Amino acid sequence: DSTGKGLLDFRSHVDASCRYSEEFTNIYYDCMDKKRRTLTRLYLDKATLVWNGNAVSGQAALGEFFESLPSSEFSVQTLDCQPVHELATQGQTTLLVVTAGQVKFDGHKQRYFNQNFLLTAQASPTSDQPVWKIASDCFRFQDWSS
Amino acid sequence: GDNISLGSKLLPGMLFFLCLKPRIPYGKKYNKKWLLTALQNKCSVPFKPVHVLVLMNPCPPPSILNTELKPQDTAWLKQCMAKRFDSSQRTLDLNQLRSDPDLVSQNVCPILSRKIFMDAVVKIIEENIPELVHLNLSNNKLYQLDSLADLITSAPHLKALNLSHNQLKTEKVLDRLKGLKLVDLWLEHNPLCDQFKDQPSYISAVRERFPQLVKLDGYDLPLPIVFDVVATSTIPPCKGSYFGSEEIMFLILHFLQQYFSVYDSGDRQPLLNAYHDGATFSLSQPSSQSLSRCLLREYHKDSRNLKHLKDPSTRFRLLKHTRLNVVALLNKLPKTQHDIASFNIDVNTHTSMLLSFTVSGVFKEVEGAFQDGVRAFSRVFIAVPAGNSGLCIVNDQLFVRIATMEEICSAFATPAPTPSSSLVPALSTPKQEMLSTFSLKSGMNLEWSQKCLQDNNWDFNIAAQIFTQLKVTNLECIFRL
Repeated sequence: DSTGKGLLDFRSHVDASCRYSEEFTNIYYDCMDKKRRTLTRLYLDKATLVWNGNAVSGQAALGEFFESLPSSEFSVQTLDCQPVHELATQGQTTLLVVTAGQVKFDGHKQRYFNQNFLLTAQASPTSDQPVWKIASDCFRFQDWSS
Repeated sequence: GDNISLGSKLLPGMLFFLCLKPRIPYGKKYNKKWLLTALQNKCSVPFKPVHVLVLMNPCPPPSILNTELKPQDTAWLKQCMAKRFDSSQRTLDLNQLRSDPDLVSQNVCPILSRKIFMDAVVKIIEENIPELVHLNLSNNKLYQLDSLADLITSAPHLKALNLSHNQLKTEKVLDRLKGLKLVDLWLEHNPLCDQFKDQPSYISAVRERFPQLVKLDGYDLPLPIVFDVVATSTIPPCKGSYFGSEEIMFLILHFLQQYFSVYDSGDRQPLLNAYHDGATFSLSQPSSQSLSRCLLREYHKDSRNLKHLKDPSTRFRLLKHTRLNVVALLNKLPKTQHDIASFNIDVNTHTSMLLSFTVSGVFKEVEGAFQDGVRAFSRVFIAVPAGNSGLCIVNDQLFVRIATMEEICSAFATPAPTPSSSLVPALSTPKQEMLSTFSLKSGMNLEWSQKCLQDNNWDFNIAAQIFTQLKVTNLECIFRL
């Protein structure tokens, strides 16, 4: 898409994506650390999680899984995001959000992690800003094999 | 008050049964002796009671007290309530309503212990002051709370309730109000309070019905003990690659072999074929550590970390858009040699339109100041189905960091001919030969070749067929898994 208008749209899309990803990651890791029980609300009903090779899908399983994890302290040090090409998403606005940093689970040593999310925009009844929900989540410790 | 009159046909000595159903107001209250004396006094014929059986029928109250709530009474009640409602505090004070001078003067006798009146009060609240927050019903001789149950829906903001100085006999009456989100409750001077052996049991019984209660009988309650789910201290065991299905695994492995053979070849230009026209690429690295910044300086100027980078123009510039721009940047990055055997792959998601997977592993720098330096990476690919090569990349995000000591030691460890020891203790010689041949012919590394053969029971022909089929199959079919 090389038309002027197309580029402008892409630019504003990228700008907005950056803002959304910052906001989202703040909310996500805050929830993960401080309000674990509400974490599943950020996921779509049929969302999938691959956590260090363990596949978990659906709200019920996700809820159980997060409940089973010890309390956490996340420190996100790297954040990047890209709008996902519409060809891959059937017109459903989607963001790729990639994070890296450190996490300390209660009772375990601090470890480095890499994580990425696919977020899809859902219309909000109360605002003109979309509500982002996690469609997929992939998490791995950098030293998962040790 | 009814007169009892008997006919003149009675003869002395006659034994007869006298069945009376006098409507004695508050009959329960009077003892037998008094009743008989009163009856005898009223009866024109003297009689000697032989056996007296007082049957208590629940009979309706006498007519003088059985007033239907007349419209004008409702109006007076409403007016009285309006006077007693403080809109600034949203408080309704119905303490001792019966003695309200306005109502008394109008001959309205609002006995709130009667359903008719309480229902009327609740209805007036529902229709006029649903925003009610505080309600005082003390001193109204209440012995049940059935009508008040409607407040749960008609006064959803009700937080404080005063039921003190009433006739509530057991804690069970409170069950009717379960659902009211009370924060402040007065219950003292009700018979129910004397039913508890101690203060804690009283508090606990009340809290059972009103878990959010903070004040009871004017006293601040101690904070409730909340049993949070005890956090377990174990984390689930970490596993290797997650593909979701064998077909996807072959598809991805095949793709990655082709991709990295070009990526590591010294000229990344042919990668144009792997990317969609509108593809995007960005890279990031941990920017905090100085060692990392030094060793990864070739990546530093293109690194896009939104945590540190705030300028929207720079953010935009560092997101490479269109395959020409993507590959132009890839060509500028240091030359590499990837240890494909080290790859770990997690398939995040796949739909009919999209396959998203994360590859992590290590690579070596093959030239320049840091030749042989080992780096680790985590790379997310989002791809759509494509005709010939199978996958067409639309999004590519690369995270690079320096490898740990462990990673450096185990990197590039397995020389080509022998199978990696992690897979199998010992392969028989025929199997080893089959493995080498399969690996050569398929172009897959030994680890994946072994998996393919194992999954097909070491039948070379079947394994080869399956592998070939997957290569030529219309890959859209695979996407529909």
